[in-house]
Formats: sequence, C-alpha cells, structure tokens
Amino acid sequence: MAKSFPEEVLEHVFSFITSDSDRNAVSLVCKSWYEIERWCRKRVFVGNCYAVSPRILTRRFPEVRSVEIKGKPHFADFNLVPEGWGGCVYPWISAMAGAYPWLEEIRLKRMVVSDEALELISTSFCNFKVLVLSSCEGFSTDGLASIAANCRKLRELDLRESEVDDLSGHWLSHFPDTWTSLVSLNIACLGSEVSFSALERLVARSPNLRTLRLNRAVSLEKLHNLLCRAPQLVEFGTGAYSSELRPDVFSNLAGAFSGCKQLKGLSGFWDLVPAYLPAIYLTCSGLTSLNLSYATIQSPDLVKLVSQCRNLQRLWVLDYIEDIGLDALAASCKDLQELRVFPSDPYVVDPNVSLTERGLVAVSEGCPKLQSVLYFCRQMSNAALVAIARNRPNLVCFRLCIIEPRAPDYLTLEPLDAGFGAIVEHCKELRRLSLSGLLTDRVFEYIGTRGRKLEMLSIAFAGDSDLGLHHVLSGCESLRKLEIRDCPFGDKALLANAAKLETMRSLWMSSCSVSFGACKLLGQKLPRLNVEVIDERGSPYSRPESCLVEKLYIYRTVAGPRIDMPPFVWTIDEDAALR
Amino acid sequence: MELQLGLALPSVPFSKGFDLNSCGYEAKEVLGGFDSILDCNVEKSSEEKKRSFDEAFDVQSVQVPETLPLLVWNQQTEHNYPENSSSSITRSDEEEEEDGIIGWPPIKYRRKKLCHGSPISDANCWTVGNGESGGGGDGGHSRGPNPTYVKVKMEGVTIARKVDLSLHHSYQTLTHTLVGMFGRCQEDVKAYKLTYQDNDGDWLLAGDVPWGTFVRSVQRLKVLNNGD
Repeated sequence: MAKSFPEEVLEHVFSFITSDSDRNAVSLVCKSWYEIERWCRKRVFVGNCYAVSPRILTRRFPEVRSVEIKGKPHFADFNLVPEGWGGCVYPWISAMAGAYPWLEEIRLKRMVVSDEALELISTSFCNFKVLVLSSCEGFSTDGLASIAANCRKLRELDLRESEVDDLSGHWLSHFPDTWTSLVSLNIACLGSEVSFSALERLVARSPNLRTLRLNRAVSLEKLHNLLCRAPQLVEFGTGAYSSELRPDVFSNLAGAFSGCKQLKGLSGFWDLVPAYLPAIYLTCSGLTSLNLSYATIQSPDLVKLVSQCRNLQRLWVLDYIEDIGLDALAASCKDLQELRVFPSDPYVVDPNVSLTERGLVAVSEGCPKLQSVLYFCRQMSNAALVAIARNRPNLVCFRLCIIEPRAPDYLTLEPLDAGFGAIVEHCKELRRLSLSGLLTDRVFEYIGTRGRKLEMLSIAFAGDSDLGLHHVLSGCESLRKLEIRDCPFGDKALLANAAKLETMRSLWMSSCSVSFGACKLLGQKLPRLNVEVIDERGSPYSRPESCLVEKLYIYRTVAGPRIDMPPFVWTIDEDAALR
Repeated sequence: MELQLGLALPSVPFSKGFDLNSCGYEAKEVLGGFDSILDCNVEKSSEEKKRSFDEAFDVQSVQVPETLPLLVWNQQTEHNYPENSSSSITRSDEEEEEDGIIGWPPIKYRRKKLCHGSPISDANCWTVGNGESGGGGDGGHSRGPNPTYVKVKMEGVTIARKVDLSLHHSYQTLTHTLVGMFGRCQEDVKAYKLTYQDNDGDWLLAGDVPWGTFVRSVQRLKVLNNGD
C-alpha cells in the first residue's frame, strides 16, 4: 500500500507530523516509510547525548535543521555529578559542521560547551538562527563574541542559567551594526556589565525583538531607555531592580512599562526595592508569567502585586510570599497553571517565614487550572497532601521538597506515605514527581501501582529496603527517568528488574546500597545499557566486589560505552576484565 | 526492527527470565555472601521465585549485608540505614567538622549563591542533627564534589577563611562569594580587588589568566581594598 503513493506525497504528509514520538512511530511502519521519514526529518531531540553518537545521528538524518541535546543527569544541578564527568558538545558540533551546513538551531542542556565549540558553530552554519544554552558551562564571553561576530542571521541567543566564564561585557559589541534580526536575547546569567550603549543600539535596531532578559549589572535607571526603544516586547527581564527613590526615575520607568502593551512576562528583579514595584502595576493585568524568585520582598508587597495579576498563569516566587500571600494568589489568579516557591533561607532548620503546607493547599483549592508545582517548605502533613490531591487531580508535575530530610507528618509524626499515595491515586495524569519527607517502602508500592503515566521520579532519603525500589521498577509503566540519592536500595531490586532499565532513558543512584558486583553483572548481561560507576575513591576493581559504589548512572544506548570518561568513571563492558 | 533513535523496545514481562539474581553460578560468585542473607534459591521456578522474592523482602533480611567486608572504607558506614527510623543520617565524627549533605536541599547553584539568609546561615549546605544553623562560625563553607580549598584573607580582618574553588567558574562569582564570606555587602564588590599567590610564590592580581590556569596555580588568596 505504501508503494501506491509517490514518495513526494508521503513526504508532504509527513511534514505535518512534528512530534518526535509520532515521527518515530512513522519510521517503524515499514522500510520505505523509514527511508522517506529519515530524509525529511528536520528536527531531532537527543535526550541523552551518550545514548547515540553524532555519527549515527548524521548518518540516519541527513537534512536536520534543528537539534536539541541534553548531557549531564539532572542531579548535576545539585553538585552530585563531579566536575569533568562529561557531556562535552564539541564532537557533536564537529560532526554536524560537516553534515548539516544548513543547520539553524542548536539547543543544549547541561552540556559542556567550550569556546572552541562556539566558534565552530559560528563559522560552520551560514543560516544559524537559534542558540539556547540551558544550564551549560565551559565557555567564556570570548565564545559569545564569536557567535556575535559571525552569526549574521542569528535570531535567538538564550543563555538560560549557564555558568559563563565572564571575562568582560565587551562581547556584545561584536554584533555588527547591520544585524537587525534579533528576536530573543537572554543574558540574565552573566555577571559582567555589557556596554549599555551597545545594548541600546542593539535594541533600537531590532524591530522583531520579543524577549529581552538583562543581567543584574544593568541598573534600574537605565531600563526605560531600553523599554522605550522596544515597546513591542513580550518578555522582559530587568537587571538589579533597586535605586534610591527618585520621582523622575520612577516616572520614566512607569511610563516606559506602560508603553509596552504586549508585555506578558516579567523576570529579573534582583535586589528589588519595593518602592519601585508600582512602576509595573500597569502591566500586571496583561501578565501571564512572573518570575520573582530573586526578589527579596515581603508578603504585603507580594500580595499587592499578585492581586493585580488576574491573568497570571505562571508564578515563580520566594517563600517570602508566605501562606498569606498564597491565599491572595488563590483568590486572584484563577488561571494559574504553574507555581514554584523557592526557599529564601534553605540551610537553617527553623523557618524564617510563615510558609507552611496551608499555602499550597489554598492554591490547590483556589486555582482550578493548577498543574505544575514546585514547593519548598518545612512542614507537611498527610492531610494536606490528601487535600491537594483531591482538589487538583489535574496535576501533571508535583515536586515537593520538605527541607529537613526524613521529616514526618508534623501533626501525626507518621510517614507521608498516605499523602503521596493520594497524589498518585488522584492525579492520574501525573508525569513528574519528586518526593521528600519520611517515607517507607509503602509509598513506592502506591507509586508503582498507581503512577501509570509517571515519567520522571526523584527520590531522596526515603524507603526502608530494596522492596521500595522493586515496587517502582516493576510498576510505573511509563517511567523514563529515575533519580535516587541516599536510599537503602541495593542489588536485589536492581538485578530483579534489569530489563526495565532498557525501557528507560536513565537511572541515577548515589549514596545507595548497590555493590560493584551487581554493577558488573548488569553491565555484562545487558549490553545495550551503559553502566557507569562514578567513584572518587579510586578504582572499584581494587576493592572487593561486594563494596558499595558511590554513584551509579545507568542509561540505554546504541552507541556503546563512551570513550571520553574521566578517571573517576568506570564503565562495565561485556568483558568486565577490561575497563 | 533494528534499534535506532526511536529506541522502541519490545516489552518484557518482568517476572520472567530477567531476574539477574538468578544468573546461576556467576551471580553467587560475583555477589559473594549475598544469597546467604537473602535466601533466594536459584533452582526454583520463576513463580516460586517470585514468592520467595517477596518473602525475602521483609525488612530484616535486606539490610546492607553484614558480610560486606567494607569496614576499611569509612564512607560506607553511612549507608547503614536504621530501619523505620526517622533519625538523621549518622555521620562519622570527622565529617561533622566539615560540611553537611551535598546537594541538599536541591537548589541550583545559582540560587544557592543568592540565598538571602542571616550571615550565620551563609553555610550554603544542610547540616543535620544539631538543630542549629549550619556551619557555625565558618560562613560560606560549602563543598563541591572535588573540593579545592585555599586560604583567603581579607585586608583588615584577622581571621582567615577557606574557600572551595571547585564551586566557582569565574572570578566574578569567586569575588562575590569572598566579599560575602567576610560579611561585606556584596554590592560593594567593586571596592575590593582580589590577589593571589601562585605556585612560584608570587603575588598577582587575579583576573589576568584564564580561570582554569588560575585554579591550578593558586595557593592562597587575599582580598584587598581597592584603595586607589
């Protein structure tokens, strides 16, 4: 039947299929569909840079225009992955430089990007338009200068939360005066001051600019200069939002903000001085996204602010908002979809603010569209979790961090098994879950049996025995990423569910009870997995096999064991005698 | 279908055949004394094995096996989790002096640096057990996975501190942290300059060489007032 359609027709049909999973399904129908599909796939997502090699990618998909690649495991964000582990992007850029001269977009997350890689990007792709570096590291502002100087068609430069070796702000001046295609610029993570006049001229000559996120070094007094030149902005991130209160500065700023009629998202607000907050009041009714997670203002100011943001869909805020502020949020922001509450003082036991489980319960009651939660707090109860679950069965992402490890239900002193059990029971669309507090093996039984759509699970300081891990690995049909730290999970559960690991993207286990012997067995028996042991005490081969490994990272791959491992990473091959 | 990027694998019935605990003799040899504790009988059928698997999983029998001859390596003693207890992680005495739990609470590095707590809680890490703010008097004392401590003095301050260079990637972040560590307002970073003694013993102004070179050669740091 496939032969009755000319290839061009099929190709045209496939051009409407954009989701990766649909494309993958199309390619499995038959050989000819596989061939047609691979020649017309324009966008590729590589969830784990070691799951496949650059050569396999370029060989299979010759006409790619947009690539997204992820490197280090998520726990790298919290310093659990030692420096030098890997995730270097250069081999990818090098392969794509040859294979994809028409490449337009590169999006990287948690990868090591060198200045050489950036320079290679800037000189290899004449149509290059989009560079997004999310939580990346390894490059300096020199690399950014190459991008600025050479990418004539660049539209988007987004540095997200990357760690940049910030030598100076001079790189921005490398953008040629003839370059006018800028749509999105995010330099919020940079420390150095960029030349303000260069920035001003850049904004002035970019009529398509929609997103501008400044860094802290841009002072408040200068914001109106930029805003007046870009009234079409949709997303804006301020620099340090503090200054002595001066009426002329205030009115300039307020006037500039009110001129931006399309503004939907605001961020930045470092060092926020409450006196200047009213300058944004006129924009509030149009805002759908507000990131105040660097703003150290207290709940009364926050209440006044959020009460005006009737159309807010996403709020990121510090726990200064307190329960009282969350009550106001629940009352005013009926369209709220995502809430993230970060801790202002995470390293003390005693609470410094009055933020408890009550605030989250209030939001779950008042905001019918709430689907994504990240919440740091110091106390939680099963009753609250059950209430949240019942109120919001439409939750898709629920990440709760009770700051003290193994904290029980503060009312009953029981484990929080029942509470989290209610979450997975009621929230049938839940895709991402992070656990905390005192938890026994029981909660994993609930998760294993009821978390049918769960794709990512993060576990810390939880469980009693291998049974906990066994519940998860033998259930959770949709599980793709599992990350575990400081849990008494060991060999037995892992080995009994070894096949499960091939259905997942990756498993991370650190400070658990997995022996080197079990790792060897897994590596030997499952050649399509890379079993990496990360151990900074020296070679695990020099110790008895029953010794526990420090960290373990297992992922499926078609590329075989990687060849760029640092000295503290060991991979297990079929022939475990070799390294 | 050959495995390509789609990575669509046939589903495997988990109860059969893939329990590597039953890998015959090899498993026994490899895992040492494991089965003596877990009373798994590898000759049983998969059905029975499943039952005995469940039976084996009562809490007592699945602790970190006592047969593990690991006592030479102290770190492992931390993994002896007491059953059903809500007590904090036991830490060996020498570690109490040092820092707390790495990577907890799970906050990205960037946010950690900007945490606005009291000066005492500048600790940047979670310490367990004493109920006080972490770190005691030694502010800014967080630890990366490959800690590289150097001593740092500030002009006019008698007591020196230590800083872990492995947590930093640029002179900017280092200077900010150092200024904060000595209790100065971090907005005044421009009022200070950072100098270091390299492995030749010379005192140099920080910032001239690439960060990596700097980290490899720095022996100690000194923060001076930017007088001129």
